[in-house]
Amino acid sequence: MATTIPFARPLSLAGPAGFVRRILALIPGLLLLAAVGYGGKLIEFSIATYTKAHHITFPNIEYVLWAIVLGLVIANTTGVPRVFQAGVATYEFWLKAGIVLLGSRFLLGDVLHLGGISLFLVAIALTLSLTFMHLIGHAFKLKPKLTSLLAIGSAICGVSAIIAAKPSIDADDEDASYAIAAILALGAISLFTFPLIGHSLHLGDKAYGLWAGLAVDNTAEATAAGALYSDAAGKVAVLAKTTRNALIGFVVLAYALYWASRGEAQAVGNKAAFLWRKFPKFVLGFLLISLLATIGIFARPQLASLANLSRWAFLLTFAGVGLRTSLRELGKQGWRPFAVGAIGEVFIALVTLGLVYGADRYLHL
Amino acid sequence: MSEATAAAPRRGISLDVYAVTLALVLALLVRFNLIPPIKW
Repeated sequence: MATTIPFARPLSLAGPAGFVRRILALIPGLLLLAAVGYGGKLIEFSIATYTKAHHITFPNIEYVLWAIVLGLVIANTTGVPRVFQAGVATYEFWLKAGIVLLGSRFLLGDVLHLGGISLFLVAIALTLSLTFMHLIGHAFKLKPKLTSLLAIGSAICGVSAIIAAKPSIDADDEDASYAIAAILALGAISLFTFPLIGHSLHLGDKAYGLWAGLAVDNTAEATAAGALYSDAAGKVAVLAKTTRNALIGFVVLAYALYWASRGEAQAVGNKAAFLWRKFPKFVLGFLLISLLATIGIFARPQLASLANLSRWAFLLTFAGVGLRTSLRELGKQGWRPFAVGAIGEVFIALVTLGLVYGADRYLHL
Repeated sequence: MSEATAAAPRRGISLDVYAVTLALVLALLVRFNLIPPIKW
């Protein structure tokens, strides 16, 4: 499973005609995202209506899963035609906009409480998982920089972290491709396994959301894994994942300094500027909206509107998760990076599950 | 993938800024009732 869709180029303001052309090029893919996401919502609604009308007991399967499955089917049968690819690649943009808007559903006090617990748990999980990933990378004889990328990807925040780290440690394009493919594949597997495990362990919404946010790699997959469990779990998963994302700069800086000290990467100049460059700015937007909601800037119906806007943005994201996942690509990536990533993921999932159990018991989530 | 990784750092920053801007604009529109209530 790897991305087959080229990343969208940054929107450039070089010439109004060029800008308009770029925006127009996004429209087909955006329509596809909307159709797939809304299709998922319709399937959920149709099944719920049918089973209720016929008095059939059937578990409610959230639109999240249907949207992802519809996207997966399209991506792995007909494929995503080129005309749609630029628009489909905007799913990450909608994810970030959705997270910022989701800030309206948190009081700043809750953010600080749960974010503080998340930060504490992330620090422990990070130390253990980075150490473990390097040990197994060494055991599987992976190239050291590929191991670094896999460790950063699985411990911090998936593809974004790998992309942020790649130029900083002067890693090969090929290593970055392997690491991204492995992380995407494992993210897709987590999406389906985490809710099942959570239900079988009877985890509460907060505990499950925290676990998904701490253990699932990519922000999109962590958001989806949380939302698949429940709305409340989805909220907590996003908060925990956002806390994890906020640490990206520190981890990438540590790796950049390590590889520079070995003479295998460029020296880091201004460390504060480096941290700011790597810091995910949407975290600040999330905190700002949460602050505005906390001080009562929005009336209750307005808060409901913001929460719904966030849901619509996530709907486009979940469609994109399915559409950018190609099962065919997995075989081309080689089994060793995948095996190292998979063993690391299982380790991280177990460690974070233990941490969440402990936090639930002693820190009262 | 090489193109993706090479273009990524610049894109990452712009994407965040665009996403935050859009979210804040939407929040303002909602706050001043310039768009109808959003249903789910």
